[in-house]
Amino acid sequence: MSRDRTPDSHDFPTRRYDLVKEFVIALVVVLVLSGALAAVFSSPDEKAITMSGWAKADPDNLVTTAAGELAGTTTSAGYGAPYNTAAEGQKLGPIPMQKLGGVRIPINSADLVLGPLSNSSIDPAVSSAVATWKAATPDQQTKWATAYSDAIGTAAADGAPATGAGGEVAKVKPGEYGPVPALSSGLLALAKTGGLEGALTSSGNFYGGDQTKSLLLLADGAYLEDLAVAQNLGGDQWGMMNEVGNAPGQPWMWLYTFWYQVKPFSTSDNADAQVWGLMMLLTLLLMFLPFIPGLRSIPRWIPIHRLVWRNYYRTKRA
Amino acid sequence: MTARTDELTSLETDDPGNWTTRLRGRIEGLVPAGQALPARQPVYVASWIYIFGVLTLTSLVVVIASGCVLALGGVQWWHVSSLGHYVNSVHLWSVELFFGFMVVHLWGKFWMAAWRGKRALTWISGMMLFGISIGTSFTGFLSQSNFSSQWIGAEGKDGINSIGAGAFFNVLNPGQMLLWHVVLLPLGVGLLTLLHIILVRRRGVVPPLDAELEG
Amino acid sequence: MSALSIVAGAPGKYISWGVIQISVANLAIIGAMVLLFILALVVPFPTHDEQPEQEGRTQ
Repeated sequence: MSRDRTPDSHDFPTRRYDLVKEFVIALVVVLVLSGALAAVFSSPDEKAITMSGWAKADPDNLVTTAAGELAGTTTSAGYGAPYNTAAEGQKLGPIPMQKLGGVRIPINSADLVLGPLSNSSIDPAVSSAVATWKAATPDQQTKWATAYSDAIGTAAADGAPATGAGGEVAKVKPGEYGPVPALSSGLLALAKTGGLEGALTSSGNFYGGDQTKSLLLLADGAYLEDLAVAQNLGGDQWGMMNEVGNAPGQPWMWLYTFWYQVKPFSTSDNADAQVWGLMMLLTLLLMFLPFIPGLRSIPRWIPIHRLVWRNYYRTKRA
Repeated sequence: MTARTDELTSLETDDPGNWTTRLRGRIEGLVPAGQALPARQPVYVASWIYIFGVLTLTSLVVVIASGCVLALGGVQWWHVSSLGHYVNSVHLWSVELFFGFMVVHLWGKFWMAAWRGKRALTWISGMMLFGISIGTSFTGFLSQSNFSSQWIGAEGKDGINSIGAGAFFNVLNPGQMLLWHVVLLPLGVGLLTLLHIILVRRRGVVPPLDAELEG
Repeated sequence: MSALSIVAGAPGKYISWGVIQISVANLAIIGAMVLLFILALVVPFPTHDEQPEQEGRTQ
């Protein structure tokens, strides 16, 4: 197709055709279909999980997460841009894409614990623990928090043996943990009251609307993820396409999520940036298809169009 | 045309620098005379594959209309009202229909090589519409204020942060996401749809592959 | 109550095939789309057998 010899469509013989009637009929069809599908299948509305729900369902995990925030070992603590400079972030080849965005949403993970406890706590033991923490050197803080996190440990999983107290806070052996146990259990207590989300609001004023800190804390824990994986929403479960229960999700995300299921992306530290880069390339290829020799000739080689225009081709032959 | 209109037109021709005249000329020239809403189509427009464009468009109308009704009640309405929940369901299913019809429309246009005859921009604008629609639906799923939104935000942030865009587009900020979903992205969808349709009417429906005219 | 009311925590039905894992809902949607595409190509379109206007430029 080096020279486009397509004739002008306006030069062809015509037939009567009612575009407006076609539009109105299509509109009625879509209205009826949407209305019927909505009536029969509804839409899912699984209630948002709360910090108090987390506290009740898995208190040990909330305490572990709090200790991790103080130790700087949680996902958000080591995330990098846009939250902090703790990591280089993901790269696309040599380009440090994640870092290029800059730290424009500064979040100190320890503040996810200390912020709510400093502002909201009415328990003198917790206030005293906050004061002790703030008076200590950063090195001392890290020592305490790391020691407590290690002491809590993790349950046995995937063939690996249990560590520390196997994740059970009540079984932690005595040790040099400073104010960390009091801070972590203080956060648990605040979560149980239902006040933690409000104390973590990122909006900066009376009006909510920015849940960044609450969601980062939830994402650092296991509760949110465990519930999601149970609903097949995990990243290695084609989760991007799915919704809770039997509801349809975003099936058009199939190719985006496909790459996460296969190597090298499934084991890559830069998977997100790499998948984005690949999908951007494929999108551009499809977008500029009219200019790509070979690819743009596929409709010629696989002549499905002969079905579309069979009346026309038959008339021409006659 | 009356004598008065003749006089006005010739006066305007003597004033080619007039921005109004120039803009009017551009608008009038976008689509050949009578082709904006013609009552006839080329004879080769005779297949059910051709209805998927208008099905996509009418689905978009229902998406926007149901979205407007949801906006009347506000973000939390559908959690507390059964009517609100029904409208949310209409919004969800019209979106599923929108994407379904749009993709079948894309399949059809691909196998018809519909970018031929100076229609590359029609194809490109269609692909841009596909992309921006995905973004609109993503911000919509983020705006449900329920468990799905929490999870989609928590997961989606990693993809968007990885390319540096998360510093500006915070999927954990429902206030921002909702405004993108109901203002900025629908505006983009609307403008691109207008461009796409104008281009279709401007060039007409693409002739069959290897079609030749008599004489 | 609708046919697909979601009970909190009740996961949906999924089909697995090698690395592919897809919900019944999504599969049904994709299947319907493929079916519609095929039908659109093969089902005859009514043209009412009228004589087309022979001249080129449309009105």
